[in-house]
Amino acid sequence: MTIYDFEQTGRDGEMEKNELSAACRELEQKAAALESALRAAEEANQAKSRFLSNMSHDIRTPVNAIVGLTTIGLSHIDEKARVQDCLRKIQTASAHLMSLVNDVLDMSRIDSGRLVISQEEFSLADLIHDIAVIVRPQAAQKRQDLRLDIRDIHEERLVGDPLRLRQILVNIINNAVKYTQEAGCITVSFRQEPVQTSPQGERAALLRFACQDNGMGMSPEFLERIFLPFERVRTSQVSRIEGTGLGMSIVKNLVDGMGGQITVESQEGEGSCFRVELPLPVSAQNRPPLRLPAGQTALVAESRDDRAAQITGCLQEGGLVPMRTASGLEAVTRLTEAQVEDRMPCALLLGQSLSDMQPLDVAAHVRQLAGPDFPIVLVSEEDWAQLEYRASRAGVSAFVPCPLFKSRLLSTLSGLLDGGQGASESRGDRAGDYSRFRALLVEDNELNQEIAVELLGMTGVQVDVAGDGRQAVERFAASPPGCYDLIFMDIQMPVMDGYEAARRIRAMDRPDAQSVWIVAMTANAFVEDVRLSREAGMNEHVSKPVDLDHIQELLSRRLKP
Amino acid sequence: MEPYQEEYIANLREIAALSPRRQPSEETLADYTGRLSRDRARQRQLAARNMVLLRENLFPVLDNLPQARPQAMEDLRQFAAALIQGRIELDAALYCQIHQSLLGLARHRRDRDGIIRALYSLGIGRYAQYSKLVGLDLSVSEPYTGQMRLCFVEAAAYLKYFDELEDPDTRGYILRSLANTALGQFRTTSERVGLIKNALRVMQDPAYREREPSLPWDRFVRQTHRLMTASISFSRETAMTAQDVAGIMESVYAVYDLQGSLAARPAFHYYAIEYYCGLDSLEGLLGKIEGLLRSADLTDFSVEGMYAAISLTAFYCQYLQEYPEMLAGREETVEEQYRRVMRYVEEFPPSQESESLFLYLRQLSYTYVETSRSIPYGLFLQKLILRFAPEIYVHSQAVAAAAAALCRQIAQEEPGFFDDIPAVREIGGEQEKLREIQRLALAFGQFHDVGKINFTSLYANNGRQWFEEEYEMSRLHPVTGAKLLADRPSTRPYADAALGHHAWYDGSRGYPAAYRRLECASRQLVDVVALVDWLENVTNTAVLYKGVEKSFDEAVQEAVRLEGRRFSPLLTARLRERQTVELIRSALEQGRRETAAEMFEA
Repeated sequence: MTIYDFEQTGRDGEMEKNELSAACRELEQKAAALESALRAAEEANQAKSRFLSNMSHDIRTPVNAIVGLTTIGLSHIDEKARVQDCLRKIQTASAHLMSLVNDVLDMSRIDSGRLVISQEEFSLADLIHDIAVIVRPQAAQKRQDLRLDIRDIHEERLVGDPLRLRQILVNIINNAVKYTQEAGCITVSFRQEPVQTSPQGERAALLRFACQDNGMGMSPEFLERIFLPFERVRTSQVSRIEGTGLGMSIVKNLVDGMGGQITVESQEGEGSCFRVELPLPVSAQNRPPLRLPAGQTALVAESRDDRAAQITGCLQEGGLVPMRTASGLEAVTRLTEAQVEDRMPCALLLGQSLSDMQPLDVAAHVRQLAGPDFPIVLVSEEDWAQLEYRASRAGVSAFVPCPLFKSRLLSTLSGLLDGGQGASESRGDRAGDYSRFRALLVEDNELNQEIAVELLGMTGVQVDVAGDGRQAVERFAASPPGCYDLIFMDIQMPVMDGYEAARRIRAMDRPDAQSVWIVAMTANAFVEDVRLSREAGMNEHVSKPVDLDHIQELLSRRLKP
Repeated sequence: MEPYQEEYIANLREIAALSPRRQPSEETLADYTGRLSRDRARQRQLAARNMVLLRENLFPVLDNLPQARPQAMEDLRQFAAALIQGRIELDAALYCQIHQSLLGLARHRRDRDGIIRALYSLGIGRYAQYSKLVGLDLSVSEPYTGQMRLCFVEAAAYLKYFDELEDPDTRGYILRSLANTALGQFRTTSERVGLIKNALRVMQDPAYREREPSLPWDRFVRQTHRLMTASISFSRETAMTAQDVAGIMESVYAVYDLQGSLAARPAFHYYAIEYYCGLDSLEGLLGKIEGLLRSADLTDFSVEGMYAAISLTAFYCQYLQEYPEMLAGREETVEEQYRRVMRYVEEFPPSQESESLFLYLRQLSYTYVETSRSIPYGLFLQKLILRFAPEIYVHSQAVAAAAAALCRQIAQEEPGFFDDIPAVREIGGEQEKLREIQRLALAFGQFHDVGKINFTSLYANNGRQWFEEEYEMSRLHPVTGAKLLADRPSTRPYADAALGHHAWYDGSRGYPAAYRRLECASRQLVDVVALVDWLENVTNTAVLYKGVEKSFDEAVQEAVRLEGRRFSPLLTARLRERQTVELIRSALEQGRRETAAEMFEA
């Protein structure tokens, strides 16, 4: 080896040393990266293990319930009520199980990039109403004060994925309900930024949603991980709270997929606030024009100031002049005076609560006072399905659900005030075109025939008349099946009475013999009369004299205009 | 009035005069039971005749009211007036039905006088209906008070057009309606006091008086002041504001100045308002009421006499209920007072019975204070039913006898059948357990219909089948009964019988919604009472109210048909055995027979 060689070797050694140390550094970095990856993998693994452990517990709980309740049901098979109770509980447990499985499937779709977000037109009013219907009962069960605060909504017809939107919002509110103590408070607010138009002419509005609760809140450590899959709050307080821990992660992914943002603030022991911002295109479809009598008064009866302010605000924006009262008695006084002075308001808007009585009792009286055509609109948070029968019988013309949307209230009013020609969105709306329906009026008294034909004619229903029960039976037998939608049957008639006629119609061998709706009309109000008419196969019993209000109420229940 | 209207009224009066009391003559038990049976047949006959009268005469008129002749309309008004005469209520529901039709016609004709008159009358009719609900929660009674109040409020709204109306009677109806808006229960005392103050302001306004001097203004003012003083009956001192107390005090003094301290009612109001404003202590007030109770004339059966004997006792006990610490040292007074009231009630002449009597007795039953030696509350309720609605008493005793017999049979064959009831489950000895089950079954049967005490006029003296709204009202009796029983420790164990005996086994129908069978520990026993009650009803009593009548065998077949829906399958399975059917039938018959004998002895 020469000096050169040695020097060369020395230089080479230096190089090797440098290379070696670089390699070492690289190795160290890789090792660190590997360690970090390992840690992440272990954490993910731990999270997945926790998830699996939780899932097995969570799945086992409803499965245990299903197994146990099935056993109890089988051992009490003769006790129908007990079996029914078991089945109801099994139904609840199954629904819970299904939601767990759905969460896992959703997450798997997100992981594999198979989640598709649709773009369809939807109504923000419907969406918020549906959400309220879903979450209110759960909050009510925990006696929580769930407030919906809706302001500055400029556009209600939007484009997006309403199902996924509902999933996001329900998930967040449900979490608030879950992690907030009994009698706690949850405020859900919806706001919209003014509509922006892009250079391409597309209009979009930013929807801001916030859900604030005064529940248990989250630790800063958990806040960092809240949107990671398989995480959920674990404290002794919530040992009974069940879920996959996927909900928030799904929500985050859905919001991201929609081009939005989700943030959360929370203070342990004080509560949490979730905020979601979503840019949603505005539907290009035009709304039907409103036909409201500008400058006319509308009477608003509602005892709660905030609710009354919402209703009166909407009416003012529609060009109407609201008069407000908190009391049912005062509403009747004002309407009586207005009627005498021939300055009736264009409608009565009955709220959910009055200071002195139930709104439906007022509706029933006002219907008598003001006649069949006067619009009475019920504005309420209650579920219409629960209210419908009582409200229709009380003479309510239409129902507008809360949370209240201006467009819905005004279009309902427009529809009512425009003789049913407008675009009412109301679910309980009664005014409508019944001209494609046919009724058989069975009545022996000529004057009563005349009045009833006149009243039915006003609704558009086509009317055939039979002078007694036998004629009615013959007429029905001779008509093609499905010809008659309704039969109005007097009871006391010569030749053949209404009971016998109904029995014979029901006994006919034709497809509509059982389905045609038969209404007994009589002033005989004994319970026996009601029972006899039911036993004869009639569907309901209305007292004479039958007025337009009765008929409209009945048509709205039975026929879809 | 038309002849059919006079006949209808006469029939109602005849029914009211049929008395289950033993005649003072030498009537034997056989004579007595024979007479009861004949009276019952007569009542059915008269009720059937009344229905024919209404179906053939009244309803066709109501059907075609716009074509009725003026004389027919006048007759109709007179007929309605005869149905409620002051405090004597012969048929309030029919009264309402007629005035509802008259109101519809007046609205149709835009006849302002007719509208006001019909609204006032309908309000009065609804008040008569509402007064049956005194003592129940506001949530139950509010729809009824609301209907009544809305009629009066609408009529009173015409005050603004006082000058335009020429008929002095119409003007009088407006003023009376104005005061009557304050009748009934309110959510707050202030609301009521405010309405009365408004009425007084109008009635004391010289401008109105000058416009119609022919009206009895002073009487209107006096009656409105009286209405205000009755606010004390509705309000606890904590529920009143200082303004409320001041308003009531003004009226109390006005009435007191007119009547002095001789009458118990103004005197009590005077003492009470002094207590409410802090001029007297509760101790002092109770002492003064005791003085009034001692001086009550128990031979005075007028409304004021009833007030002094019954209503004042109820108020006295209400204070003791609200302030139980005040009961110490007053037990003997309470016990003696209840004995005095029961004597008074026993001696009450049937010819003078009125709605006021029932109202005060309801008040008494809701404020009853039990002490160690007072009449047990259950017995007190039974005595009231026996006295004023004997048919319900007989029915309840028959159901009790049959329920006890059926429960005995079940418990002997399946000793654990009633073990869901903790008091039964804890008993070790077989015979002791059997005795306890039978005791409970008897009590469940005896008390299941106790809520009907609120609706005596719907059941006793019934002169026709019910209308729909009466049927609706009768359906409140389970809730009413459960509340009465649950409020006192001695009757609390039987409240489930009252609440659940009209619920269906599978929960699909029946009432009330408040009864949840699976959550009720006594459900097996309630099931027994529900079945036996139904069998007794459809074979004996329902014919009068609902037009339902079945033979016992038909009823049993129907019960089996309703197996698992209305009735427990564990019970209807037994109805397939002839022996059990006979056991129930004979127990019901024997129960009725023995109760008749008991009434004869009483």
